Amino acid sequence: MATLTCDHCQLTFPERDVVREIVNGKEHRFCCSGCRAVFLIIRSEGLDAFYKNRTWDSPGTPVDQQKKVDAGLFADDEREVGQNREIDILIDGIRCASCVWLNEKFLSRTDGVEYARINFATHKAKIRWDPGRVNLDRILERIQSIGYMPRPYRESEQFRQQKAEARDLLVRFGTAAFLSSQLMIYSIALYAGYFQGIDRATRTVLEIIAMFLTLPVILYSGMPFIRNTFIGLRHLHFTMDSLITIGSGSAFVYSVYQMLSGGTVYFDTAAMIITLILLGRYIETTAKGRASETIERLSKLSPREARILSDAGAADLLSAETVMVPLTELKRGNLVRVLPGELIPADGRVVHGESEANESILTGESLPVLKTTGSSVIGGAINLYGTFVFKVTNTGKDTFLAGVIRSVEDAQAKKPRLQILADRVVGYFVPFILVLACMTTAGYLLTGSPANSALMAGISVLVIACPCSLGLATPLAVLVYTTMASSRGILVKDGEVIEKSASVTHIIFDKTGTLTEGRPSLREVVSLDPTLDAAYLCRLAASIENLSEHSLGRAITAASDDVFLPVKDFRAVPGRGVTGLIGDRLIFIGNRTFMQDSGIIGNDPVTCVDEMSLSFEKAGNTVIFMGWDGKVRALFIITDRIRQEAADTVTALRSLGLETELASGDNRATTEAVAAAAGIPQAHPEMSPDNKRRLIRELQAAGKRVMMIGDGINDAPALTESAIGIAMGRGGTDIAMESADAVLMRGDLSLIPYFMRLSRRAYAVIRQNIFWAFVYNIVALPLAVSGMLHPIVAAGAMAASSLFVVTNSLRIRKGVKT
Amino acid sequence: MWTLAFLIFLSLVLGVGAWLFFLWAVKSGQYDDPEGPKYRMLEDDEDESKK
Repeated sequence: MATLTCDHCQLTFPERDVVREIVNGKEHRFCCSGCRAVFLIIRSEGLDAFYKNRTWDSPGTPVDQQKKVDAGLFADDEREVGQNREIDILIDGIRCASCVWLNEKFLSRTDGVEYARINFATHKAKIRWDPGRVNLDRILERIQSIGYMPRPYRESEQFRQQKAEARDLLVRFGTAAFLSSQLMIYSIALYAGYFQGIDRATRTVLEIIAMFLTLPVILYSGMPFIRNTFIGLRHLHFTMDSLITIGSGSAFVYSVYQMLSGGTVYFDTAAMIITLILLGRYIETTAKGRASETIERLSKLSPREARILSDAGAADLLSAETVMVPLTELKRGNLVRVLPGELIPADGRVVHGESEANESILTGESLPVLKTTGSSVIGGAINLYGTFVFKVTNTGKDTFLAGVIRSVEDAQAKKPRLQILADRVVGYFVPFILVLACMTTAGYLLTGSPANSALMAGISVLVIACPCSLGLATPLAVLVYTTMASSRGILVKDGEVIEKSASVTHIIFDKTGTLTEGRPSLREVVSLDPTLDAAYLCRLAASIENLSEHSLGRAITAASDDVFLPVKDFRAVPGRGVTGLIGDRLIFIGNRTFMQDSGIIGNDPVTCVDEMSLSFEKAGNTVIFMGWDGKVRALFIITDRIRQEAADTVTALRSLGLETELASGDNRATTEAVAAAAGIPQAHPEMSPDNKRRLIRELQAAGKRVMMIGDGINDAPALTESAIGIAMGRGGTDIAMESADAVLMRGDLSLIPYFMRLSRRAYAVIRQNIFWAFVYNIVALPLAVSGMLHPIVAAGAMAASSLFVVTNSLRIRKGVKT
Repeated sequence: MWTLAFLIFLSLVLGVGAWLFFLWAVKSGQYDDPEGPKYRMLEDDEDESKK
């Protein structure tokens, strides 16, 4: 089938879906009428430079798929600014600078909008308007009309803290950097004096100024390190912070002593250690902040409200009046109405109406589940096409969803924080240096040196030992790593991910929505009547199913050529199938029971049609029958199609030496069929959320390092339990994204092998950095012990090791195959 | 000696000035969107419809 690319959203789509529009004699093609409408709006505003300037590396969302946003969700965020009103919102769908430009221009041309500015990094828009001329509803509508999605902007407490922390670090680093640069002027003067000679009084003046410049660096900028050192000291616990405090503190004390006794000072070392390490910390915090901000933006979209019937005794439950209440106020016994496309807010039992629910994110069941009066519904599932009313049976802590969340929290509490490599090394290094310093002092005392010079020799060991490039070693590598990952669409939550994923031995995939596309599609049409070809049969079925909203029917319609025959007497039998008259044929389409009911299949069980359909069902497919005049004419084989890139991904992962397994909540036949198609040797069917978690715990207890990849609520406990969890961003659930360590923004599995290679590469670089950061100091140590170290050599080595670490970190960018 | 003291004083004053400017920049959010300006600089200002 020929494919085209949409001129607006750049999605590739089959030619039969095309929507055409001639503009200035040039034909434009779109994937849907929504995209065409947006294209025309943008053109009519004279903003079509957008299409020339944008730099998208992946297609956007077709406009048709979006629902109108409810302005009520934003109401609390509005605020008065003088005569005007102002709001901060997030605009979803922004992927390049041109998107920002388009939105800003389009909004500021809206009558009544005074100010509109969008942050390029966070996609947060600040909009100010005159309430007399325009309202928020209209502004949100304008944003949607050009194909973007406005969302409420809420900061979580944790996020606010993270931002405050980053700002605090920036001020501390900026202050330290300013003082250090001033300090360098005096240090260079002093070094020059060391070689050329300097008169005593000038030297003392310069040294005193240097001391006063260093003091605030240590006491203000270095305060967090000093504080942490004292906290750690109580448990005899040595970290990076203790090394920094000991190093810079002893350099300062040593220098003051040398200044008074006429020796060489090391004030610049004391200040530089703190400055460089603060820089590293700041880089690390911002890299982390950016990813968690995006993840926060992706999640938190689910409604926190339910629509309850105010009058439970109303005659017509489907049209009776409703009120919106927050989920926390929902009570057992409430009647709740759920509209098509909405999330089901709580567990309950259907009392009226009929629909199907997509429960795949909760249970892993790949096919929609029929909901009629008496069926139970699970909170968190998605209602597909019908409206129904259900009675709430469980709320709050008792729901299925809350159970999963508890399991996630439980796993989170038990998950050990990885002690990163640098910290592990430092844990041994600090005691070693302290002992060495004491021994040096003791050695000098024993050989008869005076007490003060023996003490100074010991302190100089501490000064030389402090590797200030160590503070840059990890953060820079983490920064390069997270930037590279996010440019590919992998969001990484923190630097620990590098070490965790570099050591993974096992990868466990979820099935529905991860390895498969997560929605049913038509795989095959089997013609049982030699006079009719598959395309014609498909058209017949699609013509009838086009009138139904059943999701299996949609799979057939979607696969047809969109030429529909006129249908009379259409009728849908819930849970069974549909029937309609085309020409003079009364056609029945549905499951086996429906065929038996309408006399198309006899009741005696073993016919050749049955055998054929059973063999398809055994392989994990759903079979829909079509027949007329007492005979089955065709079988439609419907399946949740495996992702295109799944098999290649699995092969690539195995060539990296990783073992793969599949764990799904779905039945054995389907799970095994998908595992076989993807080339995964081991499949675990019928796994509950807790079973998945247990499977991972057992593997990890046996010494394996497990990476879990999933998208659903039912994967969340497993994502948390595993050494590293990766969630699918597009189509994935909030809980999965929050539980995971990294998120695949576009849900593209082929990124996983790249991610593994990148992690291994980054980990190797970090190890080299740490090794070299120490080597310089370890070489200098014997010289310091013997008291022969030239101060210029010490300063030079320090600069060289920092420079080395910086260039080495940039090397991560090269040498990772895509 | 006098010259030296004066120069030291001058460099400290300049330095403190730069530091205060830095503090102001952090406080007023100049570091919040480091991505934006490089694109905004290239935009044409053809806002004829805006009064």
